[in-house]
Amino acid sequence: MKAASANGIIQLRRVLAERFPQVPAWTEGVAARVHPCWPTGFKRLDESLQGGLPTGAISEIVCDGGGAVFLRSLLGQAQQRRQLMGLIDGCDGFDPAGMSAAALSRLLWVRCHNAEEAAKAADLLLRDRNLPLVALDLQMNPNGQLRKISATTWYRLQRIAQQSGTVLVTLTAAAMIPCAEVRVNLENRFTLADLDKEPEDIARELKFAVTRSHVSRETATAIAEAG
Amino acid sequence: MFAVIYLPQFHLQAVWRQEPELRASPLAVMDDAEPKAAVMELSAAGRAAGVSLGQTSTQARARCPEIVLRPRSRAQEEAIAGMLLQGAFCFSPRIEATAPHVCTLDLQGMPLLATFAQNCASVEDWAQRIVAAFDQMRLSAQVGVAETPFLAWQAAQLGRPISCAGAAEEIVAALSLEKLGLPTAILDRLERWGIGSVNAFLALGREKIAERLGVEAAEIHDGLRGRESRPLKLVTPPETFEEFLEFELPVETIEPLLFVLRRFVEELSRRLGAIYLVAQELKLQLGLAVGAPYERLFVIPAPTSEVEALFRIVHTHLENVRTEAPIQSLRLSARPGRSGQYQFGLFETALRNPNQFHETLARLGALLGSDRVGSPRLRATHRPDSFEMEVSRMANGVFGEEESAGEPSQVCGLALRRFRPPLPAVVELRENRPAWLRSSWVSGPIIALKGPVKISGSWWDEKRWAREEWEAQTRDGGLCRLAREQEHWFIDGIFD
Repeated sequence: MKAASANGIIQLRRVLAERFPQVPAWTEGVAARVHPCWPTGFKRLDESLQGGLPTGAISEIVCDGGGAVFLRSLLGQAQQRRQLMGLIDGCDGFDPAGMSAAALSRLLWVRCHNAEEAAKAADLLLRDRNLPLVALDLQMNPNGQLRKISATTWYRLQRIAQQSGTVLVTLTAAAMIPCAEVRVNLENRFTLADLDKEPEDIARELKFAVTRSHVSRETATAIAEAG
Repeated sequence: MFAVIYLPQFHLQAVWRQEPELRASPLAVMDDAEPKAAVMELSAAGRAAGVSLGQTSTQARARCPEIVLRPRSRAQEEAIAGMLLQGAFCFSPRIEATAPHVCTLDLQGMPLLATFAQNCASVEDWAQRIVAAFDQMRLSAQVGVAETPFLAWQAAQLGRPISCAGAAEEIVAALSLEKLGLPTAILDRLERWGIGSVNAFLALGREKIAERLGVEAAEIHDGLRGRESRPLKLVTPPETFEEFLEFELPVETIEPLLFVLRRFVEELSRRLGAIYLVAQELKLQLGLAVGAPYERLFVIPAPTSEVEALFRIVHTHLENVRTEAPIQSLRLSARPGRSGQYQFGLFETALRNPNQFHETLARLGALLGSDRVGSPRLRATHRPDSFEMEVSRMANGVFGEEESAGEPSQVCGLALRRFRPPLPAVVELRENRPAWLRSSWVSGPIIALKGPVKISGSWWDEKRWAREEWEAQTRDGGLCRLAREQEHWFIDGIFD
């Protein structure tokens, strides 16, 4: 009897997953997850982070090629999950061309002149608590501007993100956020041939290295507790 | 059956509404329509201090040096009269604006009358709810319920504050001659005749009263006997909710303005909440000392009567307003509506707090400029980097378009990071193709090149444009888009 009802539930889940592919399905992976995460859209990276970027924390993406692709992928995820995404564009460099109106309509684009404005805008958006995902893109901002953002600012943003349960993703040219829960290095060199590639191919070939992760920290804590 | 809602001390209440701190003070409202302003209404503290109606301001001050004298506040009186009708309309659809401070309600057909003959408790509860509703609007009201409008009015004046009488005799027994509204000459005559009570007055009989005291007294006699049955002149309450204040001295800073504004929002919220409505729109009007008034309409994304949410919307806007002249008057009106009820899609995620989101967008707009916040919408043109920022839909909590057929489902491959404005570059050509690039961002020999793509548009008007685009890879690994427009080279952006 129990086996029959379990089969029924499995079938129902399958039917629902086919009928509503945009809704994240309840999978074994989801069940095993400790914290709710926001998938990046890059399968290997999501696997490394056990689901994606952690909510209520700062994830720092140190970009040396691939930052814009990463941002677009996040927006694609927001569209898929029918959520809004805030993009604080520190240098007004985001290019909406080539994206669907449906994806763009889920994007709140904040076009800043400099990093100081971007930090203020991030503060406002995080306090707002309406957006589940906020990306702070400082990759193109000069170092002189970035140095003016004090460490206390990052800690403040981290606290607000924690309280609001927002996923805060920062894109920087060099590691600079002391309280980042996750740090991923993107290192990619693109060539002219890459311009003709499909998004899936670029996503598959994207090179990254997870240098700091909430997953490894949890594992270490678990080992320490077990020991 | 009829009910009358009566606002006693109408002129005083109008002043108290604007200056609630004067409730305990000796206060006199002066009738400025007279050549020599005289006291037309007096607070209990003023009366206790020996001031009486009809005195001039000098006489009143001589009796009570602490007395506060205020002219009639006609704007507030109008507002209160409107509130009286709006409040009454919540309890009966058939109402009459008998006087600015008196509203008569026809109770015909109301279920509470079914048990009134046996037990008047249900009507008393109902009347109590009326008093409580006005109390919520910070107005003191008295309610009288009786068989005729005249008797209900007399009952309301008894001031208990509720008076529900089944028969005319009960009210008559409690009335005094002075309260009937008889002219002074008739009252003097009755006193000379030794008639000191309403029952004695009625005992004279209708014919004798009509013969000796005139038609007016006869009509009052009929009213007291319960014979009056006039039809009500039905009105509908005004649909505007407005607060107005003219400053004694023009205001130049935001603080006093915000102080008054908050009180206005509280007042409007209270008025709307009392009749189960919410604000859909707020209209702010600042009357300037010189020039046309400043006006601004706020559409509330999620209609509400919550004070904080409404106040924040106006406050955020005012932080960035600069007027050319000091502010002389302030008017805030609300367009009422029913509380919004939406049916979202099963998997649609709504904003947690649309009003907060609206405010955040306003703050971001103030920080960066209103054209730099919103959702991008691509223009129907081939011109590169052509888009517009759309904020209004998003501010109203509307987002997420359905994907339409034919447009890219998600993202193209490699994404461009644009320089805005495009970065000027020096390009060295070989065989009419870029071979060397120098700019503040990327420099060096070009090792791979793709192009040119020649595009143009708007050639039919003065906004015509034409350019050629190249995708270039430099030796240090940079991949960028070069553009030539009118013989000038630019870097549009880098592929990242």
